[in-house]
Amino acid sequence: MDAAVSVSEGATAAHKERQLDAWLREQGSVLVGYSGGVDSAYLACVARDVLGRENMLAVVGRSAAYPQQQWDHAVAVAERFDLPLVDLPTDELDNPLYAANPTNRCFHCKTVLWHTLLPLAAQRGLAVVVDGTNADDIADYRPGQRAASEHGVRSPLAEIGFTKSEIRALSRGRGIPGWANPSSPCLASRLPYGFEVTTARLAQVERAEAALRALGIGGDMRVRHHGDLARIELEQNELTRWLAPAARRALRLAVVSSGFQRVALDLRGFRSGSLNVLSGVTAA
Amino acid sequence: MNEALERALVEAGIAARVEVRERLAVLIPHAENANLTSEPLRRAVVALAAERGFTHVALELLD
Repeated sequence: MDAAVSVSEGATAAHKERQLDAWLREQGSVLVGYSGGVDSAYLACVARDVLGRENMLAVVGRSAAYPQQQWDHAVAVAERFDLPLVDLPTDELDNPLYAANPTNRCFHCKTVLWHTLLPLAAQRGLAVVVDGTNADDIADYRPGQRAASEHGVRSPLAEIGFTKSEIRALSRGRGIPGWANPSSPCLASRLPYGFEVTTARLAQVERAEAALRALGIGGDMRVRHHGDLARIELEQNELTRWLAPAARRALRLAVVSSGFQRVALDLRGFRSGSLNVLSGVTAA
Repeated sequence: MNEALERALVEAGIAARVEVRERLAVLIPHAENANLTSEPLRRAVVALAAERGFTHVALELLD
């Protein structure tokens, strides 16, 4: 992952970080909706530095859609940077509106999340609830963002205009582990819209992706769940290697052992929002 | 099954059955030696599928 920025871009990023410092000081205290991903980890670490441990809290909403590996990473970052961390169960799979997997599934998920986190912020006397949405995210199809707005959740990284590459560069400068990690949307994003989200299906995807990582596959990678068929998306520069006969067999074995009957490799490679394309969903 | 795409693939040197799943085409190769390690050939296959309305095309990995 390239987080290199030019001198002028670096100055811009540093300026934005000063703006973020000022914004956080203005709030006084924050609860960070934290996943351990690049954006929320950066935001939580800056908030911890600026506001102190007593004036911030990082909170993870955990469900079957949140991978164990990501939780382990979130804990490691919190320990290293002395972030006060709480995890709360979210029960979005119990909501039939979410489980039916409509195109606004993320709205229902985030509604549950913020319903869970806002009372905790009030209970702890934290002034504002924030998330790690960045400026690049705004252009994408993000129904979850509407839930944040409706609940008064603020997105300072997006409001100040931080791009993903700036966040990576600043995270690298702070020594935050995982600054180069690929984006890690929840496991439900691997299921086509209209295909019911169940704990068993999410677990299948989680096992399959872990098995592929164990083969040494890095970068962006997804296992899309099409019922009996798993469709693997790898970065384009990995396709030639993994289409060799022996490599195909290794891929197949890894994914079949995770509970899929059939396995296919996408010939176009990884695409963020691939299932939005498949369903004809575009940014509003 | 999509005969038009299957015929186009044969002309491109790929013998495969096409299973249609809405806008996803799953290619089930007749032989493991479908040489899709070639990037230009992959691009050609993706383009052939796109011309026929598929947004996604994937090669089934057979035992």
